[in-house]
Amino acid sequence: MAGKRDRKAFTERNLLIILVVMWVFLAIATGGNFSSWANITNLIRQSSINGVVAIGMTLIIITGGIDLSVGSIVGLSGMVYAIFTSTRGEFQFPTYVGILIALGISALVGLINAVAVHDGKVPAFIATLGMMTLVRGVVMYISSGRMVTGVPTEYRQFAVAEFLGIPALAWTWIVLAAIMIFVLKYTKFGRNLYAIGSNEEAARLSGINIRRNMYSFYIVAAVFSAIAGLMLGTRMAAGVPTGGNGYELDAIASVVIGGASLSGGVGTVLGTAMGALIIQTIRNGGNLLGVDPFIMQIVIGAIIILAVFFDQFVKSRKKGEGMKKLFKRA
Amino acid sequence: MPEEKIVIDLEGINKSFPAVKALDDVSLSVKSGEVRGLVGENGAGKSTLIKIITGAYTKDSGKMIFEGSEITRNSPLISKALGIYAVYQDVMVTPDLSVAENFFLGQQPKIGPFINWRKMYKESKDFLDEIGLDINVHRNIKELSIAESEMITIAKALWQRPKLVIFDEPTAVLTRNETQILFRIIKELKKKGAAIIYISHNLDEVFDICDTVTVLKDGATVGTYLTEELENVDKLIPLMVGRSIEEMYHKKDTEPGKELLRVENLSGDRFENVSFNVKAGEVVGLFGLVGAGRTEIARALFGVDNLKDGRIFVEGSRVSIKNPKDALVNGIGYLPEDRRKQGIFLQQDIDFNINIINFDKAMAGPLINYRKAHIQARDYVDKLSIKIGSIFQKVSELSGGNQQKVIIARWLCKNTDVLIFDEPTVGIDVGTKSEIYKLFGEILASGKGIVLISSYLPELMGMSDRIYVISNGKMAAEVQKKDFSEEHLLTLAMKNLVSKEKIKEAV
Repeated sequence: MAGKRDRKAFTERNLLIILVVMWVFLAIATGGNFSSWANITNLIRQSSINGVVAIGMTLIIITGGIDLSVGSIVGLSGMVYAIFTSTRGEFQFPTYVGILIALGISALVGLINAVAVHDGKVPAFIATLGMMTLVRGVVMYISSGRMVTGVPTEYRQFAVAEFLGIPALAWTWIVLAAIMIFVLKYTKFGRNLYAIGSNEEAARLSGINIRRNMYSFYIVAAVFSAIAGLMLGTRMAAGVPTGGNGYELDAIASVVIGGASLSGGVGTVLGTAMGALIIQTIRNGGNLLGVDPFIMQIVIGAIIILAVFFDQFVKSRKKGEGMKKLFKRA
Repeated sequence: MPEEKIVIDLEGINKSFPAVKALDDVSLSVKSGEVRGLVGENGAGKSTLIKIITGAYTKDSGKMIFEGSEITRNSPLISKALGIYAVYQDVMVTPDLSVAENFFLGQQPKIGPFINWRKMYKESKDFLDEIGLDINVHRNIKELSIAESEMITIAKALWQRPKLVIFDEPTAVLTRNETQILFRIIKELKKKGAAIIYISHNLDEVFDICDTVTVLKDGATVGTYLTEELENVDKLIPLMVGRSIEEMYHKKDTEPGKELLRVENLSGDRFENVSFNVKAGEVVGLFGLVGAGRTEIARALFGVDNLKDGRIFVEGSRVSIKNPKDALVNGIGYLPEDRRKQGIFLQQDIDFNINIINFDKAMAGPLINYRKAHIQARDYVDKLSIKIGSIFQKVSELSGGNQQKVIIARWLCKNTDVLIFDEPTVGIDVGTKSEIYKLFGEILASGKGIVLISSYLPELMGMSDRIYVISNGKMAAEVQKKDFSEEHLLTLAMKNLVSKEKIKEAV
């Protein structure tokens, strides 16, 4: 029974195999361009912003919910920071104050999401769909729909900074992911997440405070999106009103490819990270191979469906019977 | 009486799963108009056998002959087309459709291309009238109670005019009254010449309704007996487990110690003015009819539902319990009634399921020390002799009895002073039941107290030192062990109902 030790690890191993196969293929097909250090670091940097959003999304999806407002929060956080720190604006606060305000306001959005979902019993899809539109409206309103420039130099420089040859943006993702992998596995907070996602009633009867935990999950998800917003801001060197548009979809795709179940209780941050890398590998590799970007979009869409299909296939094969139904001769 | 021909004949069926031989040369044949009980402990192979008959599993070897011809290729669709219909515990109806639509699913009567609603409602209503079910066919299934939707599932089986009907634990969610209706339906089926296979852990039921009973043990047939010849349950149990009924309830008389828990005048939504106490080393039974408020009292005491009024004392000092966490802090544990919905974390492994409330004992600062956590999980798996491959197996792969044991392991590990067991043995085989009762002894020996809620009187009387009878939300009486009798307890349980019936009559 040793092989049964952990189905999560099983999913992650498969994802790793897929990644390695893709990388080897691309390295050969691009004559080594793909595997150059410059491109690899670039790949990780490109994945990093979606990667950070997707960490938060993983938490929400494990609860059995979904958070469509993350993309708008990315925009909000970047814009709030820019408005409060811009040297051309009326506040001109120092960077750390700008960051704290951006994170704080985003956390508040997360809290409102949680209250709507947990206390208001609004389905997460609807609550966060509304919040997505609402927050985007706020971003447009406070910026009058225009870019806000003049952000502090150190902020802009973060986007190009490197440590040990790896971009600071990539480090941000790697460190945050590592922390969350650890937190989900080694803290009661993390275990409570899986308990609530598997069976909320049983979790309540186990003495777990559902409200406090749900608030935390949504706030953490919003804060991760806010961090991603700041990361995006450093690259844009400005607050962009449309920043983060559509990011929720990439994040959901990463989580789902990473093996999480939309019905809750299942999913890992490591899986999600690999999901994010797979998506970016297709984009990056396709680019190098000169594949039409529209074709790449088709491929990514197909992969999302196939990933879930494959997961179901493995699950039903484990049960031993399910797949027969699918492939049975008529 | 129709001619008694053999409807299904299974010969030498074998089925193995990777780790275990589930069925070993099992033979079974059921005649038309016969009600055959199928009994055995969990894991005896009943479900596997049923799944082979319905085509959900493929047999490794053996013959299946249905109405005289051998079935070589089987699947759920094929078996259904043949007229084999299985009524499982899990409700197999579409909750968002009406009762009538569920009956006619896939074969709606039509006028041209359009559905003939009037005909659909009329025919289904006539049908329900015929079998004596008073349920509005316009209502959606999800608006019905669990028992009602169960009855509809069963009625739907009858509606299909089946040749073989398999009932798998059909009465688990039914009241006594509804069970009677079910039995009437079964007799109706019998009269029409269907063969029936009836699986239940409730052996009294098996004796009530079955003509013959086949006992399975460890995947093999022990034998098939006429129920008349067996006479009663006492003779059946040894065949299933090799032990007699007296050995089942091995509650030793213990000298009660200090008072652990006392509640005074508890009132909630469904009960009022309830007082009782639990002492160290004793099992206190809570008895009442379904809906009397037993579970509600337990839930309120555990802080799940709100209390309107009342005082709770733990070891003499008053405490306030507003949520389950408070209850845990005060040493009160609760094993809920419906383990699937309220107890088990199905997607997680055994280790997780045991440790989720016990990580406190395995922390290194703010972090979980998994080495310790795994050790304590393994300890309790061993202590309860839960049969598993490893603690990293998903609980969804375990049988119902073992899942229940995992939940008990969770709570034993938590080691609360008072444990409330709410229907701990529903849907569990005799062997596991006996093991659970044995655990009671160990819990009591360590100076803890137990509150036992059970609808099954022999169990409650066998295991309790005292029984509090709740009738219609009010405490009817406290009964001492020497005064236990089914009649006495039932009379008390119905005490406050009389007036209610009268009101009903008056309306």
